[in-house]
Amino acid sequence: MRKSLRRTAVAVLILTALALGGRAGVAQEKSKLDEVLARGKLIVGVTSEAPPFGFVDEKGELVGFDIDIARLIAKATFGDPAKIELFRQGFAARWPNVENGTVDFGIQVTTVYADRAQKVAFTRPYIDSGIVVVVKQDSAIHSLADLNNPKYTVAHLTAPVQEERGKRLYPQAKFVTFDSIAAQFNAVKVGRADAAQLDAPVAWWYVKDNPDVRVLNEWLTDVTNNAIFLRAGDFKWWLYLDTLVAEMRGGSLFSEYSAIYKKWFAQVPPHAKYYLNHP
Amino acid sequence: MGSFAELMHFAERYLPYLAGGFAVTLAIAALSVPLALGWSLPILLCRLARRRWLAGAAAAYIEVMRNTPLLIQMYLIYFGLPLFHVFLSGFMCGVLAITLQHGAFLAEVLRAGVESVSARQWDAARAIGMRSRTAFRLVVLPQALVKMLPPLGNQLIVLVKDTSLVSAIGVMEVTLSGKMIIERTGGSYEVFVAVALFYLTMTTALGAGLRVAERRLAVRFG
Repeated sequence: MRKSLRRTAVAVLILTALALGGRAGVAQEKSKLDEVLARGKLIVGVTSEAPPFGFVDEKGELVGFDIDIARLIAKATFGDPAKIELFRQGFAARWPNVENGTVDFGIQVTTVYADRAQKVAFTRPYIDSGIVVVVKQDSAIHSLADLNNPKYTVAHLTAPVQEERGKRLYPQAKFVTFDSIAAQFNAVKVGRADAAQLDAPVAWWYVKDNPDVRVLNEWLTDVTNNAIFLRAGDFKWWLYLDTLVAEMRGGSLFSEYSAIYKKWFAQVPPHAKYYLNHP
Repeated sequence: MGSFAELMHFAERYLPYLAGGFAVTLAIAALSVPLALGWSLPILLCRLARRRWLAGAAAAYIEVMRNTPLLIQMYLIYFGLPLFHVFLSGFMCGVLAITLQHGAFLAEVLRAGVESVSARQWDAARAIGMRSRTAFRLVVLPQALVKMLPPLGNQLIVLVKDTSLVSAIGVMEVTLSGKMIIERTGGSYEVFVAVALFYLTMTTALGAGLRVAERRLAVRFG
């Protein structure tokens, strides 16, 4: 009799603990989305060191493609692109800052890689990236095959992957190495080099202000994805942001997204719905 | 001791990559030193000339050259000459920029030496019937040389170290090869130590040579 009483007591205790624990778990799962809506503004982690995505312009203002996309999310959420706090963070600080909630999400030229996706959650990509080749507008180079010729010189950055790519894709050409992207680009502009390897969006940014230079249609790498990142495990918040990106790239926010894209890259982005992309 | 073994392993693997850069840096220095010295002489002669426009032009050249950064001059030459359809190699652009700027500095070092020789030496040389050109060559210049050698050596050492700036115009010398290795391996101090040691060896050898020259000159003219 006594034994069974004790057993019952233990069972009650365990059940109570489980119930309390379960409730605590539910309480922790309060989404960032509710917090953001209650707060009335977004706190977004961005960079100020990577034109044209995030940089300080002549007027001293923080501008760029990523910044405008963040403002578009503020506008979609609150009806006002100004309801946002831009939090400048270094590239190493972006992971802890989303994990500990300092920022609601980060948008700063971040490429999706498997090892990163184990630490944070990514939305679908808001822009394509990859490596392209720039040449002078009047250049005879129209493809990678043209480039593979000993009479051409290609400007590389000190990053060894560029040289390895060069040896693989145009081994006949000559290489010259610079320690800055600006020097690489200038080498092409003044005719020091016939071509240069650049990140695709960076190339578009330069070409926009330099009509004497163009980008080869053929890419040197597969397309990579730049995506918004946030704390892993907050399904509601992730679904919200991912939905907004989907709407930008192929839905109700496409026209606004397209205007931002055109402002920074002087071209219209492809619509996510391929069947709308007929010329 | 483990880190020492690591360092040796690193050296074994990457020193060959640096060797090519060493050779290029040596070649730039070996070309620039005599060229800059040679170029400083006409500047000096113009600067000392009695014709005021010539002295003025030389002074203006010196001011412009020594008051603008060598790196900017290199960029201007490397990226600017192609606009006039002149395509000197990065290597030659580097040598040219170093010669132009350090020629100006060296001319000033030489001038200080020449002007430190007492005017009486000129008068005395003239008094025994020497022409001013001969007086300069036989009386003034040897005395000036003894006095100017220490600052001259200083300037040449600066010149040798300045060769590292050509890394900015795509010449794969020792500094740029070092940067490539750093990007590849992520190890920075090992590479920078190796590169620094290389410059140290070069400048020390140059300094030792100059000290020998100083002693010999002192024996001959001092």
